[in-house]
Order: sequence, then structure tokens, then C-alpha cells
Amino acid sequence: MTEKWTNRILLLVALALAALYLFPLYWMYVTSLKTGSEIFATPPGMVPTNPQWGVFAYVWELRGMGRFLWNSAIIASGTMALTAILGTGCAYVLARYRNIWIDVALFLVLMLQVLPASLMITPLFVGFSQFGLLNHPQLAVILAVTAKVMPFFVVLVRATFMSVPGELEEAALVDGNSRIGAFWFIVLPLARNGILVSAILIFMQAFGEFVYSKSIIQAVELQPASVGLNAFMGPNTTEWNNIMAYATIYVTPILAIFVILQRRIVSGLTSGALK
Amino acid sequence: MSAEKQIELVGINKHYGSFHALKDINLTIPKGQFVALVGPSGCGKSTLLRSLAGLESISGGTMKIGGEVMNDVPPRKRDVAMVFQSYALYPHMTVEQNLTYSLRLKRVSKEEMKRATEEVAKTIGLSQLLHRYPRELSGGQRQRVAMGRAIIRHPKAFLFDEPLSNLDAALRVHMRKEIRALHDRLGATSVYVTHDQIEAMTMADHVVVMRDGVIEQQGSPLELYDRPATKFVAGFIGSPAMNFLPATIGPDGRSVHLDADGLGNLFIKGVQDPGRKVIVGLRPEHLEVGPISTAAITLPIGVVESTGSVTYLTGSGDVDLTVVVTGRSDIRPGAHVGLSIAPERVHVFDAETGQAL
Amino acid sequence: MNRLLSGLRDGKGFDIVLVTVPLLFLFALSGLPLIYNVVMSFQEVDMFSLGTFARPWVGFNNYIAVFSQPETWPIMRNTLVFVVVSIAGQFAIGFGLALFFTLKFPGASYIRGLFLASWVMPGLVVGAIWNWILAGDFGVLNYILKSLGIISENIFWRSDTAWSLWGVVIANIWNGVAFNMILLAVGLAGIPRDLYEAAALDGATAWQRFWTITLPMMRSTIGAVISLGLIFTLQQFDLFAAITSGGPANSSNVAQYWAWEQSFRQYDFAKGSTISVVMIAVVLVASIIYVRSTRHEVRG
Repeated sequence: MTEKWTNRILLLVALALAALYLFPLYWMYVTSLKTGSEIFATPPGMVPTNPQWGVFAYVWELRGMGRFLWNSAIIASGTMALTAILGTGCAYVLARYRNIWIDVALFLVLMLQVLPASLMITPLFVGFSQFGLLNHPQLAVILAVTAKVMPFFVVLVRATFMSVPGELEEAALVDGNSRIGAFWFIVLPLARNGILVSAILIFMQAFGEFVYSKSIIQAVELQPASVGLNAFMGPNTTEWNNIMAYATIYVTPILAIFVILQRRIVSGLTSGALK
Repeated sequence: MSAEKQIELVGINKHYGSFHALKDINLTIPKGQFVALVGPSGCGKSTLLRSLAGLESISGGTMKIGGEVMNDVPPRKRDVAMVFQSYALYPHMTVEQNLTYSLRLKRVSKEEMKRATEEVAKTIGLSQLLHRYPRELSGGQRQRVAMGRAIIRHPKAFLFDEPLSNLDAALRVHMRKEIRALHDRLGATSVYVTHDQIEAMTMADHVVVMRDGVIEQQGSPLELYDRPATKFVAGFIGSPAMNFLPATIGPDGRSVHLDADGLGNLFIKGVQDPGRKVIVGLRPEHLEVGPISTAAITLPIGVVESTGSVTYLTGSGDVDLTVVVTGRSDIRPGAHVGLSIAPERVHVFDAETGQAL
Repeated sequence: MNRLLSGLRDGKGFDIVLVTVPLLFLFALSGLPLIYNVVMSFQEVDMFSLGTFARPWVGFNNYIAVFSQPETWPIMRNTLVFVVVSIAGQFAIGFGLALFFTLKFPGASYIRGLFLASWVMPGLVVGAIWNWILAGDFGVLNYILKSLGIISENIFWRSDTAWSLWGVVIANIWNGVAFNMILLAVGLAGIPRDLYEAAALDGATAWQRFWTITLPMMRSTIGAVISLGLIFTLQQFDLFAAITSGGPANSSNVAQYWAWEQSFRQYDFAKGSTISVVMIAVVLVASIIYVRSTRHEVRG
């Protein structure tokens, strides 16, 4: 009997800790619904007295969020696609063999994911301008972000491939498949879930990307929502309810995906990140 | 005198939520005894052992170790040692550090520890391996370190949780003898959980057979072999397992009529109610092969297996009977043999309750 | 030619293509820029010479210039403080939470996963939210601190040179707690339960079990988590851009933000690449420690 009560108390404590940690999220939602003057109330209220549900439509129009989010989506999907195409096969090979070349390749890949974007942007920008890529800024950003996130993708997906038993591929080869066939028809479908989860993680990362986008894309109509948010928050800004509304619209799709896929994401992370 | 009762369990009950895992267990273990807890998976033997260690809490009853009530005492204060199925050796410590872990917690002096380590290492035969890590040891060596870790503490009782399951067959036979020899040498009190009834029979002074959270029968090994109290115990103890045949008590009450076609009557010891439905238990090693004319049972043979020292004969057709014959046999599959058995070796159980009659 | 093509479909050719194409891509977009960074740090770069590779070679002048600037050492010190305090805070809180969630109660794993929401959010949104929380007169953090009696007057996290860095530190700790917690939780889960049971029977209290069993067996996990923490903290940019932009007066400026500022605000690409080269060297050392710590795992 006491075990049930301890479990209940522990659950309550866990919920309290989670609520405490996620308070900033709550604050974002709450602030966006307050009126322009209510946000300056002291003491700040925990619940808006007069929720302004119309603020979302207002900010959407005011800042042209449709276009910003569309640009974010383009960059995110482009990055996800390119990363998946290049990274999946690479992860497959790195999972299949274990020799000195593979170790070297793995080491290099691991090293490449540590490079901060804010330090790599300088040579990338100069290089891009020399090759005329700055005329296609979104493509340039997709290339740069892909290079940044691909090592992470490869590490995660490699872990997925390592959980597919080697005997299955050998059986496929004995049954008459070529290597391409075995990979495409047998191994890939089994790794599909892990690859999808990793790809979604990449999408979410690229959706929020900031440094490369801000540095490379000068034309406002091509900028993603992260840059738009940054521009919205000028030095002397006071319309925090609108800014939070912008943030809400920007972040809620990501959070929705996260909540739905939370278990898969956690297990994918834990199996891949610690190797 | 209660000090002689090293372990005393009275009315032990344990619930996991709505699942009643241990039902009114009563067990007394005198000092120096080697007790085996046997039974099929899920019978509660491991739960009982872990409750003794304090790793599981009990829902009801009294548990005394060394004369003191231990119901709510945490494991570290109970002064019992356990050898785990997986050995649970500390992987980041050497053999020596594993052995001295409990002593270091008590801040025993360095000289004391050295002396104790040398003594135990000699006892378990690992003096050369004190500086190795567990991952560098074989299964048998790890097993001995696990035991050494328990021995060095001179605990009130040793608890073994299926310690030999992870070893290969030959090593198991060898370690059985070693563990029992160690127990005798130390004058220890041991509780040994296993699902292997051969281990229980060969090692223990006292065997406790459990099923579904209840003690079906307890006694010396040969007691359980000769006079099983229930059909379950009869079928559990002894290898190959006892043969069971449905039967009816004959009109005179001194014989049974085997229900299956082609089988006859057997004489039993004692008197039973005529017409009663029973199950007859016949051990394969007690069935004697003889001429068909004088035999009580005629059995067509389906399979003959010889290990070189004994031969197993299995009946074909509907009758499922196994016979063990020492040495070689000329009998071939397809032959018919006559079987007879001494009346005092015929076990009779009530068909419904399984109780011995 | 046929053998090459058939090798492509069956066997080594297939593997080689699958690996080398991505590696070439990474080489072109990560490896070359790395080298280019070093090259540019030895050149004199201005708006007009951006388009060419052949720029005047100035040797170590850029490095000397950078390290003789008055703001360099305070910024480096800020970076060190930022990194050390962030890692310490994230690790301590993350470990505490991970330990809490090892208690098996129903719902534990699901609630634990919710914490990762902070990890998936765009950095700029996290920065925007914390910017508002850290506001001087109207931010909710000051309100909470005053209600708890910890401070009596508002701290101007964003505009006070004494506090600006700490504001970003707080936001960064919040950001990284979840990731630390998850990785540490995995490390904790890898310790077999019967080791704790054996230790308990051997006489160890909970605290002793933590010191003699948990911590030693977590050594490689802890090494990995701290190295990863170092790497990620040095990558942190969005929070600075959203909260303080490195100000006021460089009081909250750190090396990775400063490098970007040099290139994209001052248009001094040579300085930007110089600072980048120095910081990349630091990051690479940290990553080598990370890789080595994950290789030496003690498996029972």
C-alpha cells in the first residue's frame, strides 16, 4: 500500500519539477495573450485577465510571418533532404564495417560536428561570395547547415543501422540480391524508423537555424523566421506581447512534433549520442 | 533455545499489488544447516531469498535472523551475505578490492584486511588473481570471488541465488561440491535457491519445495524422494521424472487397476477405499524388467537411449512410461517388455487433490 | 569499365561511393573552410579583396593585433567564465534530475522526456523568452527573486555591465540541463541494479553507494557529458544575439560572438578568422578528450 503512495508523491514531485523547468514556455504563451499594458503590470500576473486571442493573426499580418515561415520551411526541408540523401548511405557503410579506415572516417565525422557555426561562417561567407553562391542565398544556407548537421545525423543513423542484424543482409545476398538491392529492399526498410526520427530532428534543428541565415541572406523576403524574430526585437523594443506571439507561432509546430514523437526522439538520442 | 535457530520465518506473506507472491511461509533453519529452496519459475523462491536479505519488503509475518526480528531492518544491517546469479562483482575494482569492500566500509585496519584477504584467497584458491579485474576472469573464477566476498564477512547466513546457472555443466558439478565443502568447513548457515533439483538433492541437508508461493513439502532429500507428500513434489524430485498413470483402487483395497488399455493391476502398500480414483506414481528406476508372463504391465517400446552406463526405455503408443535400466540392454524398439514393481515403491495420489495417500 | 560498374553494384564500389560522396561534401564545406580560416588569418582582408584568393600576406600581424587589443582579454575571460559556470550548472542540475528520475515510478520516463522540449526549440526563441524574463523593471525573474527575498532591488540583467554575462549564463544553463540530464540518465541506467544490492548487503549506506559505485562507474559518461557540454557551450551564439548582443560595452561578449561581430559588423574578416582559428583550436582539443573518454568504457 505504501508503495502506491510513494509512487503518487514521486509523480507529483516530477510534475512539479517539469512545470518549474518548463515555466519559460508557459510564460511565452501567457505573455503573448496579455495586452500591451498588462505585460508591464507589477507584480506580473500569472494568468492574463483579458486574453487577446487576436494577437496571433495580428502579428502574422504585421510581420509577414507567412513568408518568414515559408522560408524557414524551405531551408529546413532542403537541409533535411540533402542530409538524409548524403548521410544515410554514409552511416550504413560506417555501421557495416569495422577497420582502420572506418575508424578514421568516424573520427573525422565526429570532429566536424564540434565546429561552431559562428566561427565557420567567416570563411564560408568569403568562399561563397567568391563562387557567386551569395546570389542564391537560401541554397548557400542549405549547404552550410547540411554540413553542420550531417555528422550528428550520421552518428544517430549509424546506431540505427547497427541494430539491424547483419545476417538479414547476408540472407538477402544469398537469395540473389545485389548489394544495392539488399541495401534498398532489406536493410533500409528496417532502419526506416530510426532514419525518420533522425531526419525529423534535423528538420527541427534547421528550422531554428540562425547564424548562417542571418549572415548570408540579406534580402528580407528570403529570410527565415529566426532572422525575422531577431529583427523584430530591436534594441528598444517594448511590444513584448507581440514578440512572444511571434515566438509562439514560430515554435508551436516544432513543439507539437516533439510532443508526438517524444519517446522516439529520446530513445534515438540516447542510443546514438553516447557512442 | 532460540539462538540455535539461525533463521526463523513465521507466517511470511508478500503481495505485489494484487499478486500474492508468498503465502504464509513457515520455515526454521538451525545454525549450520544447508537449506535448498527449489521449485519452478515463479514459485516465489527468489522472492523469499531476497526478502531474507532485505532487498524485498514483506507484507506480513515475522522474520528473525540470529534471534533478532529483522522485518524492517535494511539490508546493510542484517549481516547476511548473498551470492548473486550474475555474481555482481564490482567491475571497477580488482579482486582484492572486491573482497575487502565490506571491510573498507567498516574502516577495518589495513593489517586486518590484509590478513583476512590472504585467508579467504587461500580458501577459495584465488591468491594469484588478487590484482586482476573481474572482466579478466573466467566464469568459475568470478563465481569464487563472489563467494569470497561473502565469506570474508563471516555473516550470520549465506544466501545463494542460483549461483551456478551461468556455468557450463562440468563446472557446475565441480562447483556444487566446492560450495558444500566450503559450507561445512566454515560451519555456515546457507540458504540456496535453485530450479535444478539435482543440485538441491546433492547439496542440501534440508530441501524446501515451493510452488505458487506456498511450501509444498520440506524435509531431507531422501525423505522427499521416498515419501513425496504431493504429486507435484513426486514429479519434481528425481530424474528422469516419475511416471504418472491414472488408476482406480481395486475391490479389495490393496491393489490398483490401471485405467489405460493393456495395463493390469499393481499391488500397493496399505489399504485404500475401493473404487477411489487415483493417480499412480512409478519411478523409472524402480520398474523392473522381467518376463511378460509374470509382469503386471506389458509395454511396447518406442525409443531406446543408452548413455553407456544406463539405458532409457520409453513406451510407444498411448502409454507414456519411461524405464531406466542400469548398464546395457538387448531390448530394441518395437519389442514388448514386462514390467513389475515392488508394492512399497508404488506411490498413490488422490486424483483430484494430488495428495499422497 | 564494366568491372568498375559491377563493382559499383556489388561490393566495394558501392560502399566506397556511399562513403566518399558525403565525405567529399563535408570536406568541401567544413574541411576546406577550416583551412581557409587559417589562411585568411594570415592575410589582410578588406571589402575589395573579398573576391580574390590572392591577398597580401601579413604573417602573424592579425594575431598580434587581436591579442594586443584591450577588449581581448576581458572577452576571453568572459568566455572562460561562461563556459565553466554553464557546464557546472547544467551538470549539477542535470545530474540531480537524472538521479531523481532513476526512481522507478509510473510516468517517470515520459515526464523526463518532456524536459527535452528546451533542446528542440530554436535558440533565438529561447533567447527571446529569456530576454523578456530577464527584463529589468518588468521581467518575471526579478519579481520571483524579490518575492523570495533573495534581492531587494531589480537587477538590470541586460543593461548592467556587472550582470549582463550572468543573465546569458542563466539562460544557457536552462537550455542545456535537459540534454545533460538525458545523457547522465542513460549512464546511470547502465549500472546493473544488483551491484547496488550487493553493496547494500556489504554494508554501504546510500551515500556510500553513490561514492563507491555510481560515480566511479559513471566516469566515462561524465567525461563525455562534460566534453560535449564544453563543445556545445562554445557553439552558443543565438542566446547572445537575442539577449545582449555582447553588450553593454563587451561585458557579456564571448569569443564566438565576438568573432562573428568582427566579420559581420566590423567587416574585418581577417580579425574574425583569426579569433575563429584560436577558438577552433580550443574546441578541437575538447573534442579529442570527448572521443577518448567514450572509447575507454569500463564494461563489467
